[in-house]
Amino acid sequence: MNNNMKFLLIGLAIAITISVAAPFLASPAPDGLESSAKNVIEESKFAVLEESEPAIQFPMPDYSIEGMGKSGEIVAITVGSVAMLLIAYGIGKAAKI
Amino acid sequence: MHIPDSFMPLSQAIVYWAIAIPFIIMSLRWSRKEMDDTKIPILAALAAGIFAIQALNIPIGMGTSGHMVGATLVAIVLGSPWAGLLVLTLVLIVQGFVFGDGGITVMGANIINMGLISGFIGYYTFVGLKKRVSMSIAAYVGAWLGLFIASLAVAFEMWLAGTFPLVPGLIAMGTFHFIIGIVAEGLITTIALAAIARSRPDLLSDTVKDSRGVEA
Repeated sequence: MNNNMKFLLIGLAIAITISVAAPFLASPAPDGLESSAKNVIEESKFAVLEESEPAIQFPMPDYSIEGMGKSGEIVAITVGSVAMLLIAYGIGKAAKI
Repeated sequence: MHIPDSFMPLSQAIVYWAIAIPFIIMSLRWSRKEMDDTKIPILAALAAGIFAIQALNIPIGMGTSGHMVGATLVAIVLGSPWAGLLVLTLVLIVQGFVFGDGGITVMGANIINMGLISGFIGYYTFVGLKKRVSMSIAAYVGAWLGLFIASLAVAFEMWLAGTFPLVPGLIAMGTFHFIIGIVAEGLITTIALAAIARSRPDLLSDTVKDSRGVEA
């Protein structure tokens, strides 16, 4: 195993650690863009923007799994992190073909 | 700063896609040219880490939170802003389609803001500063500036979209991201880079060779 596979495994361990901690540590407050929208848009218009239904059903909306609470969030974010690793690895490999 | 679909009319969202696609293609060309078996694991680890850290919103006061974007960190570690654009494109695709975070029609705009603007400004600010100041300060300022300018770009796009008024939008986005840049983007970029510089200085040898003094 060369050094960079070690880098990958340590990176994965850090990503999974963050994924498990994030549901407990992450602030539920709106992010900068949402908060800006609340501040600068009229309330009635903001409500319309917020309520608009997405065009498609997302597998894990808002980094959660329905009915699974915090454990669902942990699973969702962890799955996302691992998927990102595999996708980026695949893109890197595919680029060489 | 993930723009949701409802914040931008489709006619404009398409324009951002048209601008984003050539840059995405260039980032794939970069990966074709630069990726090898030693760099692929680093790209993959960074992609996983950036996705995870983006789920960690940090409170900044004023009833608001924010998270790191990460394009500048990826660009510095892999020595090219195209790397940041590629990773952010992949992250935004997964976030948009799987988690409903950031819109799908507006994904082109999100790729431009987070992958292109924040990463390119962050990386080239770092490159410009590293000759004069330490690697950590150069990375901190670059990451902060990239995020701040990207947030102003979002405010401008929201004005073009008819969603935000111009000046209040710039002030609100600028204020929040000024702070998010300090407590999230700048800080985490610097910590991650220092950790890599300490454990794997060889990885950063090309990127920081002009840096004054020792790595980190």
